[in-house]
Amino acid sequence: MASMKEIRNHMKSVEQTLKITNAMYLISSANLRKARQQLNDVEPYFEKIESTISDILYHSPEIEHVFFDKRPEVPAEKRTTGFIVVTGDKGLAGAYNHNVIKLAEQKMKQCANVKLFVVGQAGRTYFQEHGMEIDTEFLYTAQNPTVTRSRDIGELMLDRFLEGSLDEVYLIFTKMMDSFHMETLCHKLLPLDPKVFKKYQEDTHYRQHVSYVPSTKAVMNRLVPGYVKGDIFGALVESYCSEQNSRMTAMKSSSDNARDMLQSLRLSYNRARQAAITQEITEVVGGAQAAQ
Amino acid sequence: MDNPKHFCLEIITPTKQFYTGPAKALILPAVDGQMGVYANHEPVVTAIEPGQLYYQVDEEWEHVVVGAGFAEIKPDCAILLVSTAERPEEIDFNRAQEAKKRAEERLRQKQSIHEYYHSKAALARAMARLKTRK
Repeated sequence: MASMKEIRNHMKSVEQTLKITNAMYLISSANLRKARQQLNDVEPYFEKIESTISDILYHSPEIEHVFFDKRPEVPAEKRTTGFIVVTGDKGLAGAYNHNVIKLAEQKMKQCANVKLFVVGQAGRTYFQEHGMEIDTEFLYTAQNPTVTRSRDIGELMLDRFLEGSLDEVYLIFTKMMDSFHMETLCHKLLPLDPKVFKKYQEDTHYRQHVSYVPSTKAVMNRLVPGYVKGDIFGALVESYCSEQNSRMTAMKSSSDNARDMLQSLRLSYNRARQAAITQEITEVVGGAQAAQ
Repeated sequence: MDNPKHFCLEIITPTKQFYTGPAKALILPAVDGQMGVYANHEPVVTAIEPGQLYYQVDEEWEHVVVGAGFAEIKPDCAILLVSTAERPEEIDFNRAQEAKKRAEERLRQKQSIHEYYHSKAALARAMARLKTRK
């Protein structure tokens, strides 16, 4: 049996860790409440923008616009694919960062030329350590997503796409399905592909041609950047919320584990103490008997 | 919609669902000027400029200041996705004036094309706000 001192040291270190994990649990649950509020506000916009775009594409399939150009003339080995990977800024969030990175690596294998744009420090460090080239100018944090940040990211992507240094752009992020279930998704951002969108409202009762005021090009020039911005913002908010949620779950289970461990340690400590007392009494009694 | 003269209007921003409900008429700031919408309008998709938007509910005209965005108009409903939407009473006159000054100052300096567009957009937003409060 381990000595009393050893057990006491072990207990102390577990207690210290418990304090940390518990504090992290409290912080992430407070953050989660804020993030979920934001998610609730954003979700209708996010869903509406998707359904509206899909509706528009559905009713005007013959659009020719630079944002819809799939560039079939570029051969597969020369295509450059951009990935926006949304990870957390910190680790200790269960499998959250790992899942995102795994999906990103899996998708990257299928592409000839890859450009990585990583949001969040955890992903950035991982890809740098593994010798993968990432855009070092692209420094955005995953904390407290704002519309301004998503606008900047969106503009960068649109610029790169228009100047031809990117042929496709994908967005890898984590979506909150419900409070216990999260899913890592890969979403095609550019060029706009009508096939990507779910068919909303299959049975719309108008099948007429949609007109664009003042012109298709003018509307698409406004609509697509707005869509890209909205999509990125939605992804950032979803990811932030998922990160906080998985950190909360991870910290809760580690706090619970620490408590269980403390309980069993306390038990062995008491046993060791009792054994020591019993031994002392035996020694005293033995000594007293020998003195008689 | 029970009343054939009404259509369903949705004004949505990234931070909140501004308005969802019936409306009788709608005037929105499109790229080439104001555009009026009644029920049974032809299907139209258009871009929205920062500016003033009006919609009519029960004979009352509601006044809103919106940011850039786009609108999908169908015979029975209109969906407006805009970056911001505010009622006139929510607008802080002094703040808008400050913002206008800042934007004008930025426009006088050399900037990248993106910064230029941002400043222009900020100026347009501030002007729309100020116009409503005057």
